[in-house]
Amino acid sequence: MKNNPSARFQVSRRTFLAGAGGAAALVTAAGCGDDAKSTTTTTAPTATALTDTDILNFALNLEYLEAEFYLRAVSGTGLTDADAGSGAGAVTGGTQIVFKTPALQQYAQEIANDELAHVRFLRKALGSAAVSRPAIDLTNSFNAAAMAAGIGASFNPFADENSFLVGAFTFEDVGVTAYHGAAGLLSSKTNLAAAAGILATEAYHAGEIRTLITELGAPYVTYANQISTLRATAGGGAETMLSGSTIVAADSSGISYERTTDQVLHIVYLSPTAGVVSKGGFFPNGLNGTIKATAS
Amino acid sequence: MEYMEEKKLQLEQREEKRSRRSALLFGGAALAGLALGQKAFAQAGPTDNDILNFALNLEFLEAQFYTLATTGMTLDQAGISTKSGGGAAGGAVTVKTSPKVSFTTPLLQQLATEIAMDEQNHVKFLQNALGANAIAQPNIDLMNSFNKLASAAGLGSTFDPFASETNFLLGAFIFEDVGVTAYQGAAGLISSKTYLDKAVGIHNVEAYHAAAIRTRIFQAGSTAQAASQAIAKTRSMLDGTGNDDIGVGVTGGAATIVDNDANGMTYARTTSQVLSIVYGGGTAGTGGAFFPSAMNGTIK
Repeated sequence: MKNNPSARFQVSRRTFLAGAGGAAALVTAAGCGDDAKSTTTTTAPTATALTDTDILNFALNLEYLEAEFYLRAVSGTGLTDADAGSGAGAVTGGTQIVFKTPALQQYAQEIANDELAHVRFLRKALGSAAVSRPAIDLTNSFNAAAMAAGIGASFNPFADENSFLVGAFTFEDVGVTAYHGAAGLLSSKTNLAAAAGILATEAYHAGEIRTLITELGAPYVTYANQISTLRATAGGGAETMLSGSTIVAADSSGISYERTTDQVLHIVYLSPTAGVVSKGGFFPNGLNGTIKATAS
Repeated sequence: MEYMEEKKLQLEQREEKRSRRSALLFGGAALAGLALGQKAFAQAGPTDNDILNFALNLEFLEAQFYTLATTGMTLDQAGISTKSGGGAAGGAVTVKTSPKVSFTTPLLQQLATEIAMDEQNHVKFLQNALGANAIAQPNIDLMNSFNKLASAAGLGSTFDPFASETNFLLGAFIFEDVGVTAYQGAAGLISSKTYLDKAVGIHNVEAYHAAAIRTRIFQAGSTAQAASQAIAKTRSMLDGTGNDDIGVGVTGGAATIVDNDANGMTYARTTSQVLSIVYGGGTAGTGGAFFPSAMNGTIK
């Protein structure tokens, strides 16, 4: 049952090591907690207030990742040079999936369209301040994630339509928690409205993907939960184990989780160990923009 | 490439369909919400309590629907208070006898039960956050309301959302996307960072619900999809835009599970637009459809 605490990760973001610095950064950035600075170390970047441009560029990096994943899955081709920006990083992996179920292809196509639209929207909103696509790895990253999650030595989300759903699962709930965490950091109401619109779309995607995986049953639900456990370890808990009665990833008040930028970075860099990290996993050279290295 | 052309075509179709709302969204929605709010309630903009109580009305509606569908019980019967923070009794619920849905698909029943719990938790969360300022549940109609909306959508003169799994999905469909748009519109009006954070979190959960329901409507086939499109169209007519709602189906080779615009953003509705939908076009302050005696609180 959903409200049974055992079904939810109970890792506290406040006390979880990898997430502690991120939480502090969030509080500091929100301008309501000087004592939080005490958790930063001499090797970590100084926690400074993030601008809306910083936050939107952080989101843009995540959208690049999602867009490349979905576009390649449905068409074999990723973002155009125009959509990736000048001097964009290379993308490793990602091949067109041979969908056997028309509905799944239609679902995937819709999400690909949405993620492409998000990239274009954020690039337009940011104008000349928009970062270009960083280097993205869709091959070694999934293998490493599979190994770390205990799924196996390798995992190819482009192998077939069911594997694709597990690959999509890897991203979607993270996007929701990232935008939720970022929403409170934005100072402009205009940007907040835009972020709220994008994050709800990510939540639709997440709800859809989670629904479809529960319909597949074993072993895909197990894979998803192994990924979920890995995300929880790297990203300060904030996960609801997937089952037929837990489609929504939310806390016991029925409110979705949020993550700090540090927690999101630990997940996408596939770096569950606490410490300063600035690249790895899905972003072999790190994100582009000011939000790149974790504080702890 | 064929794919790119198809994608472009789809984006253009979406663009055309939703251009007005798209233009409003980035920058306009929060301001529009504020402006309409001020117009409707003299000079004073809504307070956070006003907004949270507005949300509480909607959560009462959703929680009653899902609790009745999954257990046959009202919130009061299920042990969840519908009283105001000051102790005033909650309003009546009009619903058919034995509304418990005869689910035959275990996963769907589990989903319905999960959503019921989420909505109950939202009610309790908002009641707790509002404390003594929490409104009591207003009168809620889950019978004549559906008949009225079904007529407006051209789905027949009566509609019983508790009659079958597919009808339940369509009944749920009527609420969920509206909840998403309502929270999105309201987010820009909330002053407190804490409440904003919680509202965003509830907003997300409503979107998860909407997606799960819409995915199942997609799977239910073309008749259910067509009904969802008729309902979406009706919602967009009721809120006065005519183009801010997409039913479930396939457009240009892509599914339309997500109810969003060409920028990949969910729509925002002002409180006035939400009222118009849940009142079935009824007059502000007087109510109708799901809230036959209007909502409780200052935004009604």
